[in-house]
Amino acid sequence: KDKSAASKDSTPEGAAKRQEDGAETPKQQLLDIIGNMKVEVSYRKKLQQLKASESKKQALNKLEGPDSEGSVPQGTTEDTQRGKPLNPELVKAASAVAASLPRNKKQTESELLAQLRRHEETTDKQKKGGTINIRNVISEMTVKRQSPAERGARISGRISLQLDEDGRRIRPERSSAQSVDSRRSLKVGKRLNIFTKASTEPEHALKTVSSPTIWDLEFAKEVAAVTAQPPRNGFEEMIQWTKEGILWEFPIDNEVGMEDDAEFHEHIFLEKHLRAFPKQGPIRHFMELVICGLSKNPYLSVKQKVEHIEWFQKYFEEKKELLQEI
Amino acid sequence: MAAAALCWALRAARQVLPSPCPRQVRSYYVDWRMLRDVKRRKMAYELADERLRINAIRKNSILPKELQEVADKEIAALPRDSCPVRIRNRCVLTSRPRGVKRRWRLSRIVFRHFADHAQMSGVQRAMW
Repeated sequence: KDKSAASKDSTPEGAAKRQEDGAETPKQQLLDIIGNMKVEVSYRKKLQQLKASESKKQALNKLEGPDSEGSVPQGTTEDTQRGKPLNPELVKAASAVAASLPRNKKQTESELLAQLRRHEETTDKQKKGGTINIRNVISEMTVKRQSPAERGARISGRISLQLDEDGRRIRPERSSAQSVDSRRSLKVGKRLNIFTKASTEPEHALKTVSSPTIWDLEFAKEVAAVTAQPPRNGFEEMIQWTKEGILWEFPIDNEVGMEDDAEFHEHIFLEKHLRAFPKQGPIRHFMELVICGLSKNPYLSVKQKVEHIEWFQKYFEEKKELLQEI
Repeated sequence: MAAAALCWALRAARQVLPSPCPRQVRSYYVDWRMLRDVKRRKMAYELADERLRINAIRKNSILPKELQEVADKEIAALPRDSCPVRIRNRCVLTSRPRGVKRRWRLSRIVFRHFADHAQMSGVQRAMW
């Protein structure tokens, strides 16, 4: 023990020398040691040094005899009176420190001992009571594992509820889906059809009434007129414009008005419309030229081309008498 | 202009009753020339196809000449405003007959005014 203490302080070496001499009293030797010790801020280092000095002191005590014991038991008796048994070495060290300090020795000693006691109490509490509390917490956590995740989902669901003001009825489905798991909520729920054309799904609610009466229409118009509030902001204004048809729908669809369901062969092979015409003669020749021109025309729809040919048919029928004269 | 006039007429036809907030509706044209142009466009929309077909019969080397003379008379009987050639692409806002850019239907002065005030989407001053 002496050698281990020697690494920390230089004074123990001197004390060892004095020990060999045996000229000074052990109390004075101890005081010299404590006096030489540095005054440190941290309490732990103080304790360590005190312990080291105490070990030295114990060695001194063993060598010298009962002379130093007289001063020490006074401190120990005081401590034992308080109830909790402190480490006797620490007590001795505290008393020695108090003796070295210039102020009221007994007061400092009592303060130091009180601090020691508090330290002991906190360490005991941490050792004994700490494990039990952690165990309780863990056991509780295993039971209610889903609650924080659920709470988070609910909160996020609430946030999404507040933002959904466009009138898209996705709220009830989405909240129920999100509550289970975050993985499954990606594909569950109604599609928004922003980037893909909305496929015409068969509506669930079949209209039992065949044709709504005029009164129903008027009532509906009245209700709409009453409930239609002027737009509160630019977004609502744009929504209204889109409904009326002033503003285009985004993403822009280049084929909004055009719904040409006809195939290419209906555009090109138009000979079937020429059945009403005579098969010989200049009119036929003329009409074949007309058809050739129409087949090359990409701007007209099939309907328009058919109308074109029918007009010519009508015209030539009206002029039949004239043609027969020729 | 014909398309714009048509759209306007259609909108007026299917009056959407639930629209309490009145918007600015242009009730007057800029000037009489613009009005006449509008009339010509409307008439041309109706009769341009017929005119085209009759002309196809007329400008022909295959059909007999008698038929073509009859067609001449017919086309002359049609109102003069029905021919699409009479339509002039005027500026929509100022009715200026010249210096009109087709894409925006605006005269160069109006176009420049809007572009400088950054009211033309995607139009920037050229610099290279």
